Amino acid sequence: MEKIRIVIIDDEEPGRELVKHYLKEVDSIEVIAECSDGFSGLKTISTLKPDLVFLDIQMPRLTGIELVEVLTEKPEIIFTTAYDHFAIRAFELNAVDYLMKPFEKRRFLEAVKKAIVKIQSGKGNLEPANQLLSKKPETEGPVNRIVVRKANAINIIPVEQVRYVEAQDDYVMIHHSTGKALKQQTMKFYEENLPQSDFVRIHRAYIVNITEINKIEPYGKDTHVAVLNSGEKLPVSRAGYKQLREDLKF
Amino acid sequence: MRHPVLANRIRLIVWWLVWLFLMAGQSLLFYYAYGNFSSIGILDSFISLLIYSGIGLSLWYPFSFFNSGNVRTTTIISNLIISGIISVSLWALLTKYIMLGVLPDGNNYNEYWEATFPYRIGTGVFIFGLIVMSYYLFISLTNLAEKNAKEARLESLVKETELKMLRSQINPHFLFNSLNSISSLTVTDPEKARMMVVKLSDFMRYALARKDEQPVSLQSEMENLRLYLEIEKVRFGDKLTTEEHIDPECLDFKIPVMLLQPLYENAVKHGVYESTETVKIFTQAKIIDGYIEIIIKNNYDTAPSMKKGTGTGLINVARRLELFYGNKASSKTLKENGLYTITLYIPKEY
Repeated sequence: MEKIRIVIIDDEEPGRELVKHYLKEVDSIEVIAECSDGFSGLKTISTLKPDLVFLDIQMPRLTGIELVEVLTEKPEIIFTTAYDHFAIRAFELNAVDYLMKPFEKRRFLEAVKKAIVKIQSGKGNLEPANQLLSKKPETEGPVNRIVVRKANAINIIPVEQVRYVEAQDDYVMIHHSTGKALKQQTMKFYEENLPQSDFVRIHRAYIVNITEINKIEPYGKDTHVAVLNSGEKLPVSRAGYKQLREDLKF
Repeated sequence: MRHPVLANRIRLIVWWLVWLFLMAGQSLLFYYAYGNFSSIGILDSFISLLIYSGIGLSLWYPFSFFNSGNVRTTTIISNLIISGIISVSLWALLTKYIMLGVLPDGNNYNEYWEATFPYRIGTGVFIFGLIVMSYYLFISLTNLAEKNAKEARLESLVKETELKMLRSQINPHFLFNSLNSISSLTVTDPEKARMMVVKLSDFMRYALARKDEQPVSLQSEMENLRLYLEIEKVRFGDKLTTEEHIDPECLDFKIPVMLLQPLYENAVKHGVYESTETVKIFTQAKIIDGYIEIIIKNNYDTAPSMKKGTGTGLINVARRLELFYGNKASSKTLKENGLYTITLYIPKEY
């Protein structure tokens, strides 16, 4: 049987060393690369196509979560992080497991076993789901950037450049100053995590950057449209109009 | 409240001098009223004002009692009128009977008494007014002084509390991350783990031991900051480097304890955490005209970070400088060409 090929991505050396150390006891695996930041991790995964990745979350350039979001061919992922507020997102991304640092060897080997079973059987194991769903994410400050994939390039869009976010079935379309990009994420996430001082949800399907709004015009009975600086027109729902009035104080 | 006159020797002397003056005044007044200057008049003034002085001294007690607590103005006024009537009549009667007892020939005095009676009552009321006024003046001045002292105490208490709050506490994330690294190292490199525990303990001892706001020398601050940076170096390896240029004359310069800590934490958080390149934290200190100039500089990755900083660290440092030095100290930051620079100017005051 072929060995399971593993990549370890963690910006802290002691973290990588520990994973390597624990893995010494596991047969039929092979650590093929180590990376200390998100970007090189992404490159390594794309070129080496490992079976399993140990992935830290808080890393420079690209977080572990952002990295997985833009991967087209996903290996199995075990997140290793000191924080629990990404747990739900990690589960949404179908991670095999979510190890909270510091973790014990027993817990680590359990996760590895689960991953091996999943890789060898080719089907998912939903056990971590229940475990993680009971965890409420800790609230954190607003996001400052959005990472998207466009063809083969990875784009990092600062939030100031986001013009508006549009719902598209299971995805959202991020319209930014130099184009647009599709991202697998929910409207709710952006409603809660874009800086509230700059972004307003004006409609079920639209969250708009206030600075992009040129004017708001009435449109039929009870409804309005927001005209953006670019000339685009977005519908404003009644609730959205109320919210705009509150935020812009008119 | 203590007695304003009896509690102080100088005030007692002044008190008697004023009575001497009043005595002269009364003698002259009664001479004008009676039309004849006699030894009776002088003796009368002497005795009567001696009596009034005694009454005046004891009046303090009811006065301070009238004014204790929240009393309505009308109550105070009626109290004063009643005590005024009692004092003046008591004084007049005491004077009359003592004088009659002292003098061998009472008839002369009776005549003198009758002639001066309206003036006597006038003087009594006038002196009573003087006593009331001076006691009230004393009470309000004392209250004012007490209020000022209380306010000053309160102000310094508020300042002290704020300073204590601003004193950068050990960042819980730093502690947590360090424990995490130690946990990993105990498995992979126990010797390094041991060293890190020792460094962490030294760092914590310094940070926890200083409960007061006594400034410390730049040297001991720098020693502690080196510990902090060495602990972070264990986590990030070669990605974190440091360089120091500190003039020897700066080493004894006193600055508030843990003042610089948040600035290095920022350099690590926004520099090292977010960068894929090596980050160098550069520290420079020199003395310029009695001020110390401290420059902390680090390179950083210009790509947008996951989360924006909140600026709390910098705000805290600026506020502490303000509380310690008023407007004599300053801090300024500069973000340019991938370099973040913060410059502090601190006067030599401690």
